[in-house]
Amino acid sequence: MIESARTLRNRCAIVGAGNSRLGQVPGVSSLDLFMEAAAHALEDAGLRVRDIDGLITRGPDDAYCHHQQIGERLGLNARFSTSLDNGGASQILAVAVAVMAIEAGLATTVLCGYGRDAWSRTHTSAAARVKNQTRPDSQHDQEFGPEFGYFGAVAAHAFGARRHMHEFGTTREDFAEIAMAFREHAIRNPQAQSRKPLSPEDYFNARLIVSPFGLYDCSLRSDGAGAVIVTSTERARGLRPRPVLIRGFGSHNNLTGWFANDNMIRTAAFESGQAAYRMAGIAPSEVDTVQLYDCFTYMVLVQLEDYGFCGKGEGGAFVRSGALRLGGTLPANTSGGQLAEAHVEGMLQIVEGVRQLRGCYAPERQVSNAEIALVSGHGGNQVCHSTLILQAG
Amino acid sequence: MAHLVPKPVPRASAESRPFWDGVQERKLLLQHCRSCGNYWFPPSALCRHCLSPQSDWREVSGRGRIYSFVVYHRLYHPAFEQDLPYVVAIVALQEGPRLLSNIAGTPWQEIRCDLPVRVAFGDDGRGMMVPQFSICDE
Repeated sequence: MIESARTLRNRCAIVGAGNSRLGQVPGVSSLDLFMEAAAHALEDAGLRVRDIDGLITRGPDDAYCHHQQIGERLGLNARFSTSLDNGGASQILAVAVAVMAIEAGLATTVLCGYGRDAWSRTHTSAAARVKNQTRPDSQHDQEFGPEFGYFGAVAAHAFGARRHMHEFGTTREDFAEIAMAFREHAIRNPQAQSRKPLSPEDYFNARLIVSPFGLYDCSLRSDGAGAVIVTSTERARGLRPRPVLIRGFGSHNNLTGWFANDNMIRTAAFESGQAAYRMAGIAPSEVDTVQLYDCFTYMVLVQLEDYGFCGKGEGGAFVRSGALRLGGTLPANTSGGQLAEAHVEGMLQIVEGVRQLRGCYAPERQVSNAEIALVSGHGGNQVCHSTLILQAG
Repeated sequence: MAHLVPKPVPRASAESRPFWDGVQERKLLLQHCRSCGNYWFPPSALCRHCLSPQSDWREVSGRGRIYSFVVYHRLYHPAFEQDLPYVVAIVALQEGPRLLSNIAGTPWQEIRCDLPVRVAFGDDGRGMMVPQFSICDE
């Protein structure tokens, strides 16, 4: 197994990355936001639609056969195409499946992307704001949840945060540092949705949502899309942009459920990370920057532990050291992440990882000498996880 | 006090019907595997431990501990407006399975993980009983 994993190391690369307008983009469908991002990714790569022969997407949760709708808009007959269904872990999985499809000879150049209209969808009316749902009613539990007033992803993740606080002494001060660090990064990102400085007072004075989470523990509701283009490293060398190599990837889903065992405090990021490190042939200490799936502050902290950047239970001390800040030992979510840039279900984390490794930012936003980036995706019913390890080409 | 908006009524599936029927009689019933002896939840046709189709519904102790809990301060559904802030907990039953429920009768500030709880049943004006839990002695 280890041998077969190693054969995919650096075989493929990301040659284009793009995003749509982000934040509040009323009147534009998620499909059209996707198209904006796809057009930018193609332009970035110096490619045209006719150069693409693979398409892997994950639509809004109520779009049937999402990749078919996107392919129709692109005017594309694909040799390999599908939509994925692992929630926020789908976006990295799309890149992983693209590598596998290319290596299997089923495609040469694959467009991977995701778009959503979560801000518009949750702001259509006062009732929609209360429900705060990004998925239609029919997809929500009909029993063992709503009768107890259990709704939404905030509570699901807050369960994990609470248990982690109980077992390891993690505090809301630790969560605050994550929110403040990413906000500080967003201030340097002109396209970020939240660019106002965030002080400890702002964090602690903010209203509680589902405690232990307050307002600033929660990611944004965003309209937006991102897309990347994957091709063989050999082809990538002949293209205009500096390629970013796909050094390793991993996936792991705790399908037994978020409530089972210790899944909410020892997450699938552990096994997914181990698989990715194995393929990449690196240790956590070799990672220069991380772009983690930050749907909530706590998820950053627990992933730092599960990925081995610190020991289990030491996430609080690790983040309080300032490690996550630009200039720190492990700059994280340098665009502001989903807490402050925009929440596009992990897709923008991939885009940011690519841009950091190209070294394309001004010094104030650039991770110096960034050679290796780890990107994570998390989602489904909190149990799906995927990992991407990228290397400057 | 009557709620202007009724609380959601659980929609039982064919598999979960015996659970809800038991709750209406103030009994907490779980599926018990005749082959491997384990309990499981939520209800499903085959045992989640050994895939045996041979099971029966057994009344369980109703005792367990709070594995984790959250406190809703924000309203997601108008029926819960008068309950804010309210607690939703994951209760780990002595028999193994974990259930989502509410913790009644204790201020939210006093609730902690691992506290012992026992089942209680409440209607809450929804016209159907649901299992709830209250803090109890060891």
